[in-house]
Amino acid sequence: MMNTPFFELRNITKYFSKVVANKDVSFSIEKGEVLALLGENGAGKSTTMKILYGLYRADSGEIIMEGVERKINSPKDAMALGISMIQQHFSLVPAHTVTENIILGNVHGRIDRKGCEREIGELARTYGFDIDPKALVKDLSVGVQQKVEILKALYLKARLLIMDEPTAVLTPQESENLMQFVHEFTAHGNSVIIITHKLKEVMAVADRIVVMRNGEVHGDLKCSDTDEKELSRLMIGRDLIPSKRAEDDESADNHEVRLEFDNTSVVERDQVPRLKDISFSIHRGEIFGIAGVSGNGQQELCEVICGALSPSSGRILLDGEDITRLTIRERIDRGIGYVPADRHKDGLVMDMSLAENMMLKASYGKKWMHHGLLDTNALNNYTNTLIKEYEIKAPGPEAIAKGLSGGNQQKVIVAREVDNGSKLIIFDQPTRGLDLGAIDYVHKTIFAERAKGKSILLISTDLSEIFTLSNRIAVLYKGVIQGIFKRSELTTEKIGLLMAGYDVNKGCTDER
Amino acid sequence: MMSTPLLYGSISEVFAERSGMMVTAIEGIFLLGAWGGFVGTFLSGSLLIGLLAAILAGVVTSALYGWICVYLKQNQIVTGTAINILALGVVSFFHRVIFGVPITPLTVQPLVALPIPILSKIPMVGPVLFNQNILTYMMYLIVPVAYFVLFKTSIGLTIRSAGENPEAVDVAGINVNRIRFAMVLLAGAMGGIAGAFYSVGYLGMFTINIIGGRGWIAFAICFLGNWNPKGALIGALVFGLAEAVAIYMQSNGSALFPNELFIALPYILTIVLTVTRKSFNVPARLGVPYSKEN
Amino acid sequence: MNAKMRDLLVTNFLAIFLGLTASALMILFLGKNPNDAFGILFSSMFRDKYTFAEIFVKATPLIFAALSFAFTFKANLYNIGAQGQFYIGALIATASSLFLQGRMPGPLALVIIFMLTLIGGGIWGSFIGFVKAKYNANEFLVSMMSTYVALAIMNYLLRTVLMETKHEYPQTNALDTQVWLPSFIQGTRLHIGFILAVAVAIGVWILLYKTTLGYRIRVVGYNSDAARMSGIDANRLYVVAFFISGALAAMAGFTEVNGVQHMLLQGFNPDIGAAGLGIAILANANPIGIIFAAILFGALNVGGTIMGQMSGIPSSIIELMQGFVMVFVILSYFVRSELETRRAKRMLAVEND
Repeated sequence: MMNTPFFELRNITKYFSKVVANKDVSFSIEKGEVLALLGENGAGKSTTMKILYGLYRADSGEIIMEGVERKINSPKDAMALGISMIQQHFSLVPAHTVTENIILGNVHGRIDRKGCEREIGELARTYGFDIDPKALVKDLSVGVQQKVEILKALYLKARLLIMDEPTAVLTPQESENLMQFVHEFTAHGNSVIIITHKLKEVMAVADRIVVMRNGEVHGDLKCSDTDEKELSRLMIGRDLIPSKRAEDDESADNHEVRLEFDNTSVVERDQVPRLKDISFSIHRGEIFGIAGVSGNGQQELCEVICGALSPSSGRILLDGEDITRLTIRERIDRGIGYVPADRHKDGLVMDMSLAENMMLKASYGKKWMHHGLLDTNALNNYTNTLIKEYEIKAPGPEAIAKGLSGGNQQKVIVAREVDNGSKLIIFDQPTRGLDLGAIDYVHKTIFAERAKGKSILLISTDLSEIFTLSNRIAVLYKGVIQGIFKRSELTTEKIGLLMAGYDVNKGCTDER
Repeated sequence: MMSTPLLYGSISEVFAERSGMMVTAIEGIFLLGAWGGFVGTFLSGSLLIGLLAAILAGVVTSALYGWICVYLKQNQIVTGTAINILALGVVSFFHRVIFGVPITPLTVQPLVALPIPILSKIPMVGPVLFNQNILTYMMYLIVPVAYFVLFKTSIGLTIRSAGENPEAVDVAGINVNRIRFAMVLLAGAMGGIAGAFYSVGYLGMFTINIIGGRGWIAFAICFLGNWNPKGALIGALVFGLAEAVAIYMQSNGSALFPNELFIALPYILTIVLTVTRKSFNVPARLGVPYSKEN
Repeated sequence: MNAKMRDLLVTNFLAIFLGLTASALMILFLGKNPNDAFGILFSSMFRDKYTFAEIFVKATPLIFAALSFAFTFKANLYNIGAQGQFYIGALIATASSLFLQGRMPGPLALVIIFMLTLIGGGIWGSFIGFVKAKYNANEFLVSMMSTYVALAIMNYLLRTVLMETKHEYPQTNALDTQVWLPSFIQGTRLHIGFILAVAVAIGVWILLYKTTLGYRIRVVGYNSDAARMSGIDANRLYVVAFFISGALAAMAGFTEVNGVQHMLLQGFNPDIGAAGLGIAILANANPIGIIFAAILFGALNVGGTIMGQMSGIPSSIIELMQGFVMVFVILSYFVRSELETRRAKRMLAVEND
């Protein structure tokens, strides 16, 4: 270990107007070290790293490299110092090839396509990445896209690699591979900073951990000196009591079947099937969880149920009725609620008021009409009721949706869909990006709706969430169900293998 | 030959749109170029000065559009329309200021055709291709150069990336706004030349209606040509042909078809093509202003 | 009144003021005194009943044209074809007037003519919506081109079928007084078309904000994905929106032909479409605001003409004023959004302290 640290941040402070994002943040990283930056959503970790990478400028504080103070005013400066950052949302151009993405900004004049492709191919091979330099980024899976991002950093001869929530989109096995890469990379004297909120990961891979909360550093410890409980306390500021699972875990198998998928597939001409021969059923009063890495057919599954996507074969039945050919509107009328993964795109109209958003699924019916015109009074009252019931922090029904925090926005969607979904509610990534309080609330709501006898379809990449909530769990891989199991029959290991496509003996069968 | 201005206009539009900016002020740019070219030539007697004036006029117009749309991030369609209206007002007003109300229309000597020796004597093809004015000759060069720059150089890659995913460009340390603004200025310069073609290069005079929607056709050609210089060339040729046919038919008064049909021909063609053509190359972030989260 | 509203009014007034000032400065180039010119403009507008009423006469078609653009704008669609839809409307109004006059009582004929114009303009406009819905064609280009096509059709018909019996100029016969829109203020040209325009504007407002159809149009305009997920059929709405938009623009044709011109000739109100767009922007696409903004533009129009008559300033000053005002209004959008952001940040900060 060197005496002077590789990089040091001293008293970094950053305000966004009067909001303090970072306050006197100070820590350092040695060469060959893996540092985990741990904290909840909104703790300020991304901000700090963006300052280090030159995307933001700190209002005060210094950045010191190997004992010498440096000014980093743009990503170009950071890259010149050997810093590379891989963000959560990749900065790749989907329509371009791997090579084109990597050389962007790094070549001058005429592009020697063949030469660059060769160079990048060799680089990939050196690190054991299986990437085709000529492939179009949009055709690659998310895990491979991440590798392209890493390759780009390696191409730039990065010595400090910053990764923002890298395992959010990976299977357990891919996460392992990534950690492997991190070990090799640091063994060469390079350093890695991982931003994450996953405690298990941190314990597994980090040498040192810096915990942030509300923009300040609340802990700087060696991994060997601490444990998950302490970290969790530093992250949240108090001891976390996990929400109790419903005590009665009786399976709902003996209830009636509500939703049934019968050999449904979504196949487009000449393309890999997005869903293949999906068959399962959900009973009344049951929470059916679907695990799997994003992009393996979950989106298609949701869309087939709610009506946005038509299957190429097979049927879907709701309470015995064949709804395969019904329109979205007809399905909403039949009591299917959908809390989508992409809130801003599919769930809310950000520029409209809360009351108007509440009406989103009911605009065709007579529910809100009075003499042919909109009954704004009734709508406002209804919205107010829901605001109170769900404890949504908002000034009133006239508040514009985009002014609310993420957690409150999700509550609005949940409130609406729970009301609309009298028979079946689909929850797609319902707690992504929410703080613990909101997550807890959503979980409670899901349990409550199950108790009312509704069927719940839960899709999540968060395995602990799947395990906490589901009666039964199915795993989706490349559009095919890898097995349907009772919760008790699965372990993290097993589910990880299934998520990666390994054929473990399919557990309990699904009675049809 | 009528394709020349359309090509100048549409190729610059391709570059601009590839970087993410729809230059909806193109009609105004053409107009200002036409007027600037005319005024410059008339007052100085030199076509070269006229051309420079046209470029200047175009660039100034596009700079205003670029400032509002790239830096102030306003709606591109609304801004373009506003500038087009303003251009109309400015041009007709200042034409009056400078020239008063002339009794007879003012004219200048248009661009002369420069036949290339030998080549222009080739039967059929010769006169068409090699007996044109200098702007048209430059057009032959522009297409391959544009294609080369856009697809085979680093700057071209950057431009294309700016239109697809500006974050990627930003993260690589390149200023996205600067690139977009530069492309808009390019559109101003080339659009200015295109406009000047109508007044100084072909007709030899200036009327307020001289552009008559052809800036928009150049805009459409960018779409229809799939944002590719080669496509723009084909599009420009097709529309140039349609226009030439229209002119021919008008002066040779075919009794069979009404005049108006030929006047409307390029526009009908645009509609038909817009409807039937599937544009599969739309830059993903076309028309969306870019702002860093801060 | 809340801060946002206040910002809106203040910045708009400022924009108008700056726009007019910029135009005034241009007058200096003519060697004339802008103070005098504008002084004449303001005083003459109110000099007599006739001139004052002219403002509203000019505003009438502008209200319709602006409503036309604003309506589709709310659905995040761009209808640049209002000028063409106006021509089609004018054509239908003229043709049906010539046909129906004398065959039935005036008022009845007017109602029928109005209906025909509406439907015709709507169909012409809905074509754009249709190709957008079915082929995902770029409605901006199609609507723009459709104007030129409409112009060609109008010129053709004026030269042939609809031509006056004298066959001297490409224009129609004058309309019989039966089918004129009556004026309701003595001694002016102000006809009930203006009342119609205001009523329609209010109607559009109600449609957009108080009915479920309007709600759906706005949802599609703000977020077409969420709309789709909520079972809203965006494609059908496109067609409906363009139908209404086209019908609105066509109504301007009706009021101009039957209320003002009483015939159809070439070069007829060639800037209505563009001015309508400008007005819609100025009013932020709000139907009630459009009424006022249109009156403003009407005033500019009248004033500009007077300036031309009395001070020898070319009529292109009108376009200049309109153009400058529009540019400044766009700048004011920027200013307003900056103010809004700063206010939001301040509120957030207060919350956090």
